[in-house]
Amino acid sequence: MSILTVQNVSFSYHTVQEEVQALRNLSFSVEEGEFVGIIGPSCCGKTTVLNLLSGLFTPTEGEILLRNAPIRKSASRIGLMPQRDQLFAWRTIEKNVCLGLELLRENTPERKEYAIGLLRKYGLGDFIKKHPSELSGGMRQRAALIRTLVIQPDLLLLDEPFSALDFQTRLSVCDDVYKIIRQEKKTAILVSHDINESISLCDKIIVLSKRPATVKEEIPVEISRELTPLQKREDKRFNQYFKKIWSLLEDTNDCGTSKISKKE
Amino acid sequence: MTAEHRKFLKKNRARKIALHLSRILLLFVFIGGWELISYLEIIDPFIISSPSAVVKVIGRLYQSQQLISHVSASLWETVAGFLIATVLGTVIAVLLWFNTFLRDVLEPYLITLNSLPKIALGPIIIVWFGTGKTAIIFMSVLICIIITVIGMLSGFCNVDTEKIMLMRSLKGNKFTVMIKLVFSANIPTLLSVLKINVGLSWVGSIIGEYLSSREGLGYLIVYGSQVFQLDLVMASTVLLCFLAGGMYAVVSLLEKIIRKKFS
Ligand SMILES: Nc1ncnc2c1ncn2[C@@H]1O[C@H](COP(=O)(O)OP(=O)(O)O)[C@@H](O)[C@H]1O
Ligand SMILES: [Mg+2]
Repeated sequence: MSILTVQNVSFSYHTVQEEVQALRNLSFSVEEGEFVGIIGPSCCGKTTVLNLLSGLFTPTEGEILLRNAPIRKSASRIGLMPQRDQLFAWRTIEKNVCLGLELLRENTPERKEYAIGLLRKYGLGDFIKKHPSELSGGMRQRAALIRTLVIQPDLLLLDEPFSALDFQTRLSVCDDVYKIIRQEKKTAILVSHDINESISLCDKIIVLSKRPATVKEEIPVEISRELTPLQKREDKRFNQYFKKIWSLLEDTNDCGTSKISKKE
Repeated sequence: MTAEHRKFLKKNRARKIALHLSRILLLFVFIGGWELISYLEIIDPFIISSPSAVVKVIGRLYQSQQLISHVSASLWETVAGFLIATVLGTVIAVLLWFNTFLRDVLEPYLITLNSLPKIALGPIIIVWFGTGKTAIIFMSVLICIIITVIGMLSGFCNVDTEKIMLMRSLKGNKFTVMIKLVFSANIPTLLSVLKINVGLSWVGSIIGEYLSSREGLGYLIVYGSQVFQLDLVMASTVLLCFLAGGMYAVVSLLEKIIRKKFS
């Protein structure tokens, strides 16, 4: 059964200068336990999709259903992991990871215990009382992921979580994130503009057109889920998937139309 | 520890010692030079006074029990102005962050007020508040508050929107975003505003005392220059240096404590 259905969703931004249509008739669905990749040229509207899915924006047209309920009314929970780790410099890692619990008023001893357990399990046990500036980029990313897991979300949304890391860290953090999400049996959507990353992590890849984004094609990735992302890169089908997606991706958008996009 | 590192540390320590010694030396050269020029009458001591005369004047003020009352008058006005302006300015900045419409309405006025030399309002303030301490404190508040509002507000508005999105995705409302994110993220801004306000609040209170008062260091400076007692003017200025420096040191200490708590 699908946990998430996106039906004919369109969305536009309005600025004084212009109206920017970011999404047009976007439809796709995600199964329970699936790791779905959304890939598209930069500025095509990937972050917009995630903001809609996390209920921060409302679609101009169409509907988003999470466990059969409209997303903004749904009791289901969504965990958003933004493009940069966005850990708060003035909080310790423990406090950072418990941010969601505080905001949702679920700061019970058991949940805190769960948070600390996750930190220990994924190699941050020695850094619980440290501040983010004392951690490496990869560790910070792991902490950010744990922050999203602590609230026990039904759906995880990852917005280019590795884009700020250098290549080597990226490969190992990729492996970590994959392992964590599989072990915790989470449903996740990963947004990326990196083809290799998407193939090595995801069970299904949704290729978006350039702006206004719409689904060009859905590609199931049939490489065993038991392999780590690094091992998947060795698989002989990997290159075929790469070529296929490469041919589907269009030229990069010109991001320069709106002021906001320049910040990226 | 390698020999090279030891050498580095040694060099570093030597530099630090040299730094402190040079600072002390500079002070002595200044005071000594001043005394000498005055003693040898290279420049008329009536105009430039001298360190020994300054000490004498301060001693005399102390004996006639005027020192404490003048110093405490100025200090009280300054600290009151400093605290009122910082607290009120920060509160206004918070309110303007919540209400973007009001912020945009007020923006041109804030900018105008910021570039206006507040001293120009001195006479009006005296008409409104009389010649007491209230007028002086008001002057001090007026000089500090605009820059506090502008500084804090621009700090608040510079918080990463992705962080705000993150908090909102966790069902945080605007109030929690303010407390847990925007304000906390701007503690360093607040500290630098405090440092600026130390200097500005002294400007405010001394100017206020110039305009109207019977007490305080600003009064002593004006009085001294009117009756050509330059020793008194210099002594008051020296006292002012110590007070302002002391207040800055207190703020720096506060900063150190807070920074330690955050990392
Ligand atoms: N707040 C906004 N106001 C106006 N236009 C926006 C805003 N946010 C994004 N856009 C525009 O919408 C398009 C899609 O943005 P985004 O979803 O961030 O792209 P991506 O994440 O794929 O790089 C871009 O062209 C961007 O300029
Ligand atoms: Mg993006």
